Amino acid sequence: MAVLNITYNGMSADYPLDVQVALSDVDVKRIAVEVVRAGGLRGLQVPNLPDNAFDNFVIDRFDRGERIYLRPKVPFGSLSCDCECECES
Amino acid sequence: MRILICGVGALGSTAAWFCRNLDAELAFVDFDKVESKNVMAQCFVKASIGKNKAEALKAQMLTFFGVKCEAFSVKLAETNVEQLCGRADLIVDAFDNIASRMVLSAYAKKTGKALVHAAVSGDGTFGIVRWDEHFAPDAEDAAGQATCEGGEHLPLIGVLGSSIARVIQDFAKDGTKRDVMISLRDVRTTA
Repeated sequence: MAVLNITYNGMSADYPLDVQVALSDVDVKRIAVEVVRAGGLRGLQVPNLPDNAFDNFVIDRFDRGERIYLRPKVPFGSLSCDCECECES
Repeated sequence: MRILICGVGALGSTAAWFCRNLDAELAFVDFDKVESKNVMAQCFVKASIGKNKAEALKAQMLTFFGVKCEAFSVKLAETNVEQLCGRADLIVDAFDNIASRMVLSAYAKKTGKALVHAAVSGDGTFGIVRWDEHFAPDAEDAAGQATCEGGEHLPLIGVLGSSIARVIQDFAKDGTKRDVMISLRDVRTTA
């Protein structure tokens, strides 16, 4: 059984995915929205979570897809560093 | 063991702080200067304002802890990566720009050097430490997306910096390579 870990707004929780077929990124994000809305994750319930909450998130798959991580992007900086803060990460 | 920390802003300087007791030679690369706002988010003191970050961190490590380090106040690029990284046993990527990260990644793949990357999300709620073997840069939502602000993300940066140090410590001890994800709720080993 695959485990989906969702990180949202600084909180993180696991959800067991009882499915036998490979899930696309779109499927994973849709399931995540439904689970977080429904309160299926301890400590991570957002009843009014918008449909597009995870549109810009990244999905990492480990252990041949048995562990799936849905997480925010960690922008690895810009091609030419021109951010306002001018600091290195 | 020689550990080269590339980029000693918020993540790099914090990680270095927690690496001070390692039985290792520490070296820093950063071309940037310490600004007044940096002391709120990075491991620099007021007396370091105006100095090069790598040199300032080197001076602070010696002054506060008696730890001797080496500093390179240059911008890392393809033309000097061998010169800067050639003697390193471990390279730590704490840069804030994808171009420099990719230079390090290409160099590590070419030479077989150990390289670990660290990054924080723009909203300061999430961070990653990931070895180059699993590294793929995330696309930016917007060009020039800032990854740090003046101290706003300091608590997460503290956790992320100490997690980087722990990953370095594990590698220095027996070559273990752990990937970790850090949220405000937990620190999770992912590989």
